[in-house]
Amino acid sequence: MTDIPLTAAPSAGLSAFPRRGAAALALVLAALVAVPVAVGNPFIYHVFITICVFAALSTAWNIVGGYAGQLSLGHGIFYGLGAYCGMLLVGAGISPWIGMVAGAALAMLVALAISYPCFRLHGPFFSLATIAFLEVFRVLALHFRDLTGGATGLMIPLKFGWAWMVFRDRWPPLAIAFGLLLLTLAVAWWMRTHRIGFYLVATRERESAARAAGVPTVGTRLVAVAVSGALTAMVGTFHAMYLTFIEPAAVFSLTLSIQIAMFALIGGLGTVFGPLLGAVLLVPITELARGWLGAKALGLHGLVYGLVLVLVVLFLPNGLMGLVSRFTRAGAGTRGVQAGTVAAAPRAAERRPLGEAVIRVEGLQKRFGGLHVTNDVGFTLREGEILGLIGPNGAGKTTVFNMISGFLKPDAGSVSVRAPDGTWHSPGRPADFAALGVGRTFQIVQPFAAMTVEENIMVGAFYRHRDVREAREVARETAERMGLAPWLGSEARGLTIGGLKRLEVARVMAMRPRVLLLDEVMAGINQTDVRRAIDLMLSIRDTGVSIIAIEHVMQAVMALSDRVIVLSSGQIIAQGSPQDVVRDAAVIEAYLGKEFVHAHA
Amino acid sequence: MRVLARALAAALALGAAAPTTARAADVKFGALFPFSGQLALLGEESARGVEIAVDEINAAGGVQGQKVVLARGDAVDNNQAIGEARRLISLERVVAIFGSYSSARSIAASQVAELSGLPYFELGAVAEEVTGRGLQYLYRTNPTAEDMAKLAVEMIVNKVAAGLGKKPGDLKIGIIYEDSSYGTSVAGFQKKFAAQAKLNVVTAQGYPAATVDMSSLVLDLKGRGIDVLLQTSYQNDSVLFLQQANEAGFKPGAIIGGGGGYSMQPTADAVGHTVIEGVLDTDFTQYLVNTQYTPGLESFVAAYQKKYGGAPRSGHSLNNYVGAKLILQAIDKAKGFEPDTIVKAAKGIDVKDGVTAVGYGFKFGKNNQNERAAMMGMQWQGGKLVTVYPDSAAVAPMQTRQ
Amino acid sequence: MDVFLQVLANGVMLGGLFAIVSVGLTLIFGIVKVVNFAHGEFLMVGMYLTYLAVSGLGLHPFAAVILVVPVLFLLGALTQRFLIQPLLAAGDHHIQIFATVGLSTVLINLALLVFGADIANTPPSGLRQPLQIGPVRVLLGQVVILGTAILLVAGLQTFLARTRTGRAIRAVAQNRAAAELMGIDVNRIYALTFGIGAACVGVAAVLIAPLYPTSPNSGTYFVLIAFVVVVLGGLGSIRGAFVGAILIGLIDSVTGFYVGADMREVAVFGVFLAILILKPSGLFGRQLRLSHVSP
Repeated sequence: MTDIPLTAAPSAGLSAFPRRGAAALALVLAALVAVPVAVGNPFIYHVFITICVFAALSTAWNIVGGYAGQLSLGHGIFYGLGAYCGMLLVGAGISPWIGMVAGAALAMLVALAISYPCFRLHGPFFSLATIAFLEVFRVLALHFRDLTGGATGLMIPLKFGWAWMVFRDRWPPLAIAFGLLLLTLAVAWWMRTHRIGFYLVATRERESAARAAGVPTVGTRLVAVAVSGALTAMVGTFHAMYLTFIEPAAVFSLTLSIQIAMFALIGGLGTVFGPLLGAVLLVPITELARGWLGAKALGLHGLVYGLVLVLVVLFLPNGLMGLVSRFTRAGAGTRGVQAGTVAAAPRAAERRPLGEAVIRVEGLQKRFGGLHVTNDVGFTLREGEILGLIGPNGAGKTTVFNMISGFLKPDAGSVSVRAPDGTWHSPGRPADFAALGVGRTFQIVQPFAAMTVEENIMVGAFYRHRDVREAREVARETAERMGLAPWLGSEARGLTIGGLKRLEVARVMAMRPRVLLLDEVMAGINQTDVRRAIDLMLSIRDTGVSIIAIEHVMQAVMALSDRVIVLSSGQIIAQGSPQDVVRDAAVIEAYLGKEFVHAHA
Repeated sequence: MRVLARALAAALALGAAAPTTARAADVKFGALFPFSGQLALLGEESARGVEIAVDEINAAGGVQGQKVVLARGDAVDNNQAIGEARRLISLERVVAIFGSYSSARSIAASQVAELSGLPYFELGAVAEEVTGRGLQYLYRTNPTAEDMAKLAVEMIVNKVAAGLGKKPGDLKIGIIYEDSSYGTSVAGFQKKFAAQAKLNVVTAQGYPAATVDMSSLVLDLKGRGIDVLLQTSYQNDSVLFLQQANEAGFKPGAIIGGGGGYSMQPTADAVGHTVIEGVLDTDFTQYLVNTQYTPGLESFVAAYQKKYGGAPRSGHSLNNYVGAKLILQAIDKAKGFEPDTIVKAAKGIDVKDGVTAVGYGFKFGKNNQNERAAMMGMQWQGGKLVTVYPDSAAVAPMQTRQ
Repeated sequence: MDVFLQVLANGVMLGGLFAIVSVGLTLIFGIVKVVNFAHGEFLMVGMYLTYLAVSGLGLHPFAAVILVVPVLFLLGALTQRFLIQPLLAAGDHHIQIFATVGLSTVLINLALLVFGADIANTPPSGLRQPLQIGPVRVLLGQVVILGTAILLVAGLQTFLARTRTGRAIRAVAQNRAAAELMGIDVNRIYALTFGIGAACVGVAAVLIAPLYPTSPNSGTYFVLIAFVVVVLGGLGSIRGAFVGAILIGLIDSVTGFYVGADMREVAVFGVFLAILILKPSGLFGRQLRLSHVSP
């Protein structure tokens, strides 16, 4: 049975959180406060304040680095902005609490300004850009010394009290640091368990699939960066008050930026509590190591530090949280093998009549360099119709699809979609198409591998339903209709190809599209499942969805299509009912060559 | 895993800091320097001076009859400096802290000491801001960036101008500096004192310390016809500048370095002794100096040689040594180790010039800065850094190109 | 006018320096698609090795190539095999970045441990000889660097275009899976490429060490510029890296002279960011695939 997933064990998922974990977490957090208060020693207070500060910084960083998958090595920018904002306002006689807010606002603006142009950059390019920005800020801070105090830095006068965030007692700074930590954890947790968390992970995993599912990928990431920057700046303001002295090299520091990213990596990128774990473990160990190694030989401490980083990267890529979940998962046990695919929900007996045109394509042209991949392609899709798009390999079918879903811009021609209210629109980007109810799947399946089946479908469901619970309901319901209900809790990467294809469809269906563009959904699945898939398509059609399907599996094309369009070398060579098209000489020639035309005739 | 984390944290709290063992008749002082990280070389060098001072004090019977024990704190960055200061104060229970070579570390750590009401003796950091804050328990023994700049300008006015056959006001002065705290503070004061002395500062440019190339800067200075060039820099940029200036044919009447790389032998070796010949330098007291003015210097060098198996790498150890020794000797004359007692003892120090191994005298004045602290002027002659200014300390006459 | 020419000459010489450092990086970046944040430290290791060879063994820097280049080649190949290869399967760029950052930290501190924090000075061995070319003065060593950079670029281009191994490398860069199906041992190619890239840095180190002081942080001075150059020139384009390097050298020199020494970094990074944002494929690179959609 091809739909049986390879691994059926439940995954941690985005929303699940084991009870044992919650208790352990509460203990760690309590210890962060209880231990220093109990011991009462100023040095211990300092160590724990440092742990809280770095845990907060790493957690905030993780929103961008872990959730959104954008490895920023320039978060020192926000830390520095918060620090300088606080310091400068204190110098002007304004309380650092206001400075904290001002710093957060400034950091947000800077975050948006910097990130927006950089989001198109992938992986290492993005990281390099963040480093470059960090350097620029550092140099500017040095340059405008009248404002920032330049290289010699800024100090605050020792005015005591909560208004000035400078204290003689030890516990108030701990309280503030801890409070900031709780704040960042709360924000990180909220984001993860609500729609934006799903959107972020989806964007990180497969940006194009996310866009097809209606996720505002750019907007989502901008929100993540703005929030992360603001939180980082707030911690920066506090830390500046705590240190009472800042200088450009210390705050706009690449070392610091790498360090907070490293804590998140070692703790577990993309998890809520990984960075906390990373900081709790590493800050004391670094202290210890420096004490033992630092004075022994110049460079010994740094050497060990670097080696640890390399070893963690090589052997613990999921960080400590990965280790933890491996232990908890082993205990959960494995589910038994499922007894075969579930058929899709039964169809309505009657078929609705075809309606008005809902997509109009006219005169599409596209060239890739010298290659004329689309040559004057035009057709109409009527409401409730299934249109088959066939042709030999390389005919340009997916290119046409890309142009009618916003992933590729045609050189000439138009694509118009009729809105439910009857007006015609010419959408441009995937988001516009999604807004008009056009959904698509991809030829090479694009599941969000790290999420469960349920969560994958939820990403689509979120398009119409903001609330997590509603979306989950819709996802469940859609899964049942698609025959995926038994695998809701399994990780998507464990499904076989048949299951993944269904998942693609399910995800799009959860968006309640009016038009469905299917790219070779039947490819690579066995006979039984082809029949089931045909039933599924028909039942979808019966709910009022219009379908254009690229297909090679002739059985499906014949059984499903009301009309068929044949594309060859970028041009339409035949259009009509499936029976007519299949006998058309030009079509036979295109597929099989001249000899077969004569053979058939 | 989490249990382990908490256990580790607890272990750190109690055991890991490993307080230095001291017997009942010992008194502990903190030595807070950057022992690791970028500043480690000279941080360690500075601490060595303190260690030799402690050795000598203990050999002479200790302080108030008690043996002095040093507890090291590694101030690798500003946050760490605060932590280490806290640890020294609250866990090691030192009675006072010696530090810190780096101005940034000093500023951060002394804040902690002040809030705890514990004396902090800065022996080597030069930024103005260290004592500029008016702290009660912070005392600085060494000369500052201001002193360095003042001396440089003095040298120009008193010696260099005449040596070049021009009036001071006719000289074209160029100031370049690496853009971190060190270079910026010295250069800032150089501009100030130059203005006061009515010198013509044609240009003042900072550059990134980690620079790979200074040819455009050299070209600019050459084009302006600079007579006297002041550079404040570390090793890398000193070498780069001197080499590239030489190769570009930029030969100003005088080059005066502001300590840092200019005082270090590896710099001279890298640049070449002929190229660096005649280059001037203002810095802490160095080792080729008129020992009539700096009695005790030779025995310090001997002690250093014996303890560390090599010659001192910079004047930092000497300065730290003299400062620490004087403080400890003053405390010896007092009764008890209360902060106010220590501070009072320090305030009472009154030593004239020409008595200590660094030459300058000691008396704490405004903001608890040693008012008698002064830098010296040196020159590279024959591949060695010899003292040439002031005359009382000079071991060779200042040479100037015509 | 003479001054302007000298500024330009300084810029070109500086560009040659950047070029010879960046050629190896663009090869690695373009083919293996790995950001080697430890690239500068490879250079630093090479410089220290040169120092040892010249002042310890008395070799001339040109002869030291025989020692330094193979060692660096080995270092590159081993890094690829044991650090990068295990991570390529994970498909996650982030991890690779951390891995090479870790490697960079290890190498810097190893150097600190072994050589201390003082600068090491390789004897110039005649390379500091000034040459007067018309109104312009440059150093022999700088001209050698520029010339070697050109030769290296040309040599690599030829190697990639004409030899079988070179074609294999290009194939792997364009489509790893297809290359594998064609029978190319992809892992071997990656290791080879990384090794060649590191060897190029070795050549750079040998020529740079006599002209610049060596310290554990020497690499960090060069590495950020190298990345700027590589991105400016276009990912994987060796010719582009060369042109980019000359451009950056000129920008640096001109800004340094006409604007001010402290604004050089801002100018260089400003250009970097502008390219990243406006034309991420650089001056010569192909259009980067920015989406996963198959054509």
